Amino acid sequence: MKLIIGNKNYSSWSLRPWIAMKALGIAFEEIVIPFGSPLGNPDFKARIASYTPAGKLPALVDGDTRVWETLAILEYLAEKFPAHGLWPCEPQVRAEARALASEMHAGFSALRSECPMNIRRPIKSRLLSAAAQADVARIETMWQSARARSGGPFLFGQFSAVDAMYAPVASRLDTYGIEVSRDTRDYIDAVMALPAFAEWRAAAIAETWIVPEDEVDWPTVLTA
Amino acid sequence: MFRLILGNKNYSSWSFRPWIGLRTAGIPFDEEVIPLYGEGSKENILARSPAGKVPILIDGDVRVWESLAILEYAAEKFPAAQLWPADPAARAHARAISTEMHAGFVALRSECGMNMWRPPARKALSDEAKANIARIQALWTDARDRFGAGGPFLFGRFTAADAMYAPVVSRFETYAIDVTAPVAAYMDAMIALPAWQEWRRAGLNEPWVIAKFEDHYPDVKRLKVDA
Repeated sequence: MKLIIGNKNYSSWSLRPWIAMKALGIAFEEIVIPFGSPLGNPDFKARIASYTPAGKLPALVDGDTRVWETLAILEYLAEKFPAHGLWPCEPQVRAEARALASEMHAGFSALRSECPMNIRRPIKSRLLSAAAQADVARIETMWQSARARSGGPFLFGQFSAVDAMYAPVASRLDTYGIEVSRDTRDYIDAVMALPAFAEWRAAAIAETWIVPEDEVDWPTVLTA
Repeated sequence: MFRLILGNKNYSSWSFRPWIGLRTAGIPFDEEVIPLYGEGSKENILARSPAGKVPILIDGDVRVWESLAILEYAAEKFPAAQLWPADPAARAHARAISTEMHAGFVALRSECGMNMWRPPARKALSDEAKANIARIQALWTDARDRFGAGGPFLFGRFTAADAMYAPVVSRFETYAIDVTAPVAAYMDAMIALPAWQEWRRAGLNEPWVIAKFEDHYPDVKRLKVDA
């Protein structure tokens, strides 16, 4: 299996299936295609077109099967590797995990646009719009309620696909110094303590590509 | 029995998705419509789901929100209804395009809101919306070519992927979007579904007009049920 991903520093969608596969022990080969505009690779669109018809990353190639869209990749893996715990076993709990994952997949656009994932950026706080604050409040409520029921440390106890969906959010809340509850902080720490997260982070920091659209301090680029 | 909590049938594209999926697959449910943006509707929805959005599926103690998660839950609970294609490669493809719908096509969605009673007429569209339309036509045609041999729908017989795109079919019709012949044939098959007709009838009979979803408010022209 090949997982085609974008820049590790910036591509939040790529982090999701990558961390799921790493953390759950599913072997794969990765291919990084850095974003094109304006300083990176101008062949970006042409290169991803050979892997996925939607023209977006991430994409999974498994023999003749090509799967795109993060959530669809996670569902594909859940079916192919039923013993690896992509989703919780209990049907009711699984339904809730999928609702949370879908809510992430389609939502929180204010937070996503104001706080783009930028792993190498040193922690520095940022003022959020009311809409982004509402996104954070909803996310905190959701995380707290899931962890209160499961007992943690992850949303449904063990690490699962839904934690993979929220891993970039944990990173954003950390990077932009967003004030969160003690409980939310514990969850962020649990995600960031995963060996898979540390591996992604180290590779992201080693990248040299800069995407101005994702640098909120532009033309300053904060680096550690 | 399942209970679906829905928004207005005329306007709520997200509600339409699980409703037509469950109905066409023959999964029994009862339903409750909460008119959106009305007095107390926000509180009413929040009382049923912490996400504060419709649709919501209630199954005993289980509450599922987000249309895609509802369809996944129904697919697991009623495997015989075959909400997803049986072949793994087709199923992966169906989930990819369903998810692409779930999170995408923002320009089309905001410029061409679902509005079933609006008499079909063109509207000026942004380049982004035109690109959305091109991508949707390409993905429908590709799915039909590769997986559609057994029937008129994206994967032959009706699946959750068709349910996810049902509101787009409605929008293409309402905003008189130019489409290719194969796309027109697919749209005809969707619109001919008994469930489609049932939903549309109910939508056209609703009394609730939402100003921000009407192009020419306060001028609101409405198709009649038999039109």
